[in-house]
Amino acid sequence: MITANGLTRRFGEITAVDGLDLHIERGEVFGFLGPNGAGKTTTIRMLSALIAPTSGSATIAEKTLGKDNRAIRERVGVLTETPGLYKRLSAWDNLLFFARLYRIDRPEQQAEKYLKMFELWDRRNGLTGTFSKGMRQKLALARALLHEPKILFLDEPTAGLDPEAAKMVRELIESLRSKERTIFLCTHNLDEADRLCDRIALFKSRLLTVGDPQSLRERMYGRRTVVHLANPNPGIEGQLDLPFITKTEWIDGRLLISLSDPETENPILVRKLVELGADVQFVSELKVSLEDLYLDLMEGNHVST
Amino acid sequence: MYRLKVLLIKEWRESLRNKMVLFGVIFLPLILVGTSVFMLTTGVAAEDPIAQVVLFNTSLMYFMLLPAIIPLAIAVYSIVGEKEQTTLEPLLATPISDTELFLGKALASVIPAVLVNWISFGLFLGVTRLLVGGFLLQTLTLPWLASIFGLTPLLALFSVGVTMIVSSRASDARAAYQFSSLAILPGLVPLIVYSSMKTIVDMRLILLEAALLVVAGAVVLYFAVKLFRREQILTRWK
Repeated sequence: MITANGLTRRFGEITAVDGLDLHIERGEVFGFLGPNGAGKTTTIRMLSALIAPTSGSATIAEKTLGKDNRAIRERVGVLTETPGLYKRLSAWDNLLFFARLYRIDRPEQQAEKYLKMFELWDRRNGLTGTFSKGMRQKLALARALLHEPKILFLDEPTAGLDPEAAKMVRELIESLRSKERTIFLCTHNLDEADRLCDRIALFKSRLLTVGDPQSLRERMYGRRTVVHLANPNPGIEGQLDLPFITKTEWIDGRLLISLSDPETENPILVRKLVELGADVQFVSELKVSLEDLYLDLMEGNHVST
Repeated sequence: MYRLKVLLIKEWRESLRNKMVLFGVIFLPLILVGTSVFMLTTGVAAEDPIAQVVLFNTSLMYFMLLPAIIPLAIAVYSIVGEKEQTTLEPLLATPISDTELFLGKALASVIPAVLVNWISFGLFLGVTRLLVGGFLLQTLTLPWLASIFGLTPLLALFSVGVTMIVSSRASDARAAYQFSSLAILPGLVPLIVYSSMKTIVDMRLILLEAALLVVAGAVVLYFAVKLFRREQILTRWK
């Protein structure tokens, strides 16, 4: 659905996006994560045919970037970082204007459908300047969906929203999941990405890594078992001569053991520890948060895999 | 053409809800018409037909200035307003073409400016005839009529072009309004000259002015069109 090959965008001396290679499948929710100024918005702008790449190529919804820009814009929906609604127009007029620009067959019906879906029907005649942030964001999302795009680009959809409004927008995004629609989600909210995305890409002018959140964690850190001992005994790890253990370390009195298949290897590990006289209190898997992974990658603590 | 029409309707719908724009488009012409008629019908002028002819001809100059001023108000808010509301990017993300966008913004300002000017002119003539008498209308020369009906659309286009260029670099409507006014001034200089020389004015002067405005308008619109490209708007506009 989206393929990019060596997509690059320079602004004078600055390279905002450097040789981006991507392949996103139909129906996938793809998270695009990176710090401010990483080039996420520039990437969205390129992929939605708003600005041209300096070099590289891309195919979006089976259309070639550069050659079929208008057709691409007809097939994608974009939720920009700010809702960007006409404050002096009503919610109804805002949607109708965009529906007509997309030359939708029955603009009124489509506007009604989305106003009702996003629970804004009762406020359809209200000027959007009087709307709350959450309502504006919902309306902007409705606008992005009006023409039933095959691909939806969402740029920070929950930025600046209070937790309740953010939750509401996340639920809306979740409800938009379908096999027919691809969602490209730019976000700072790592928890949101973890929950919503099938795959995520970590990006800082260039692609640092891409994969589903769980496999990324495993790729970066392996799988780790935490063992709580009643009497922590530094030195015991040296006696663990088990071939599947790749690394051991003590953190806050707990023994951290890296291994590849905890489901089969943990029972052997625990037996061995007991044999060595350790009083095992708890055994659990260490869950690395996406935040840790993100920060490590952004700070260059890990090499891209 | 369909998208152009959709954009024009949206622009006008928004303008009708903007008090600043409404003032510029509706009240300013009404004030000028009212002031002109008031001057013709009160004081010394009311009893002196020669003074009335002079005042009448001076008032006609307002209808040369209006088409330069009216589009300024609409165009400033139409462009800076999009920036302030951050609506440009969603608009550019639609299949609307750069040409449709440019024409939509330009015509949304030019069409009402020219129409309002002509209507104001008609209103002024009607009220003058009613309150002062038909003799003043007989002093209306062909060069004046050619100016008001022929030159004003060119003036409006020039004014819109300048405003579009200025507005692309301004993030504040008031600043854009002030800078645009200053930038439009050179276009009005021939008018001022024309006004001061109106006793010897003839069609040759009108044609010369038209030619100057066509050249100036073409130059200004060339740069405005260049600025109105998606890429420019998203990456270069402030």
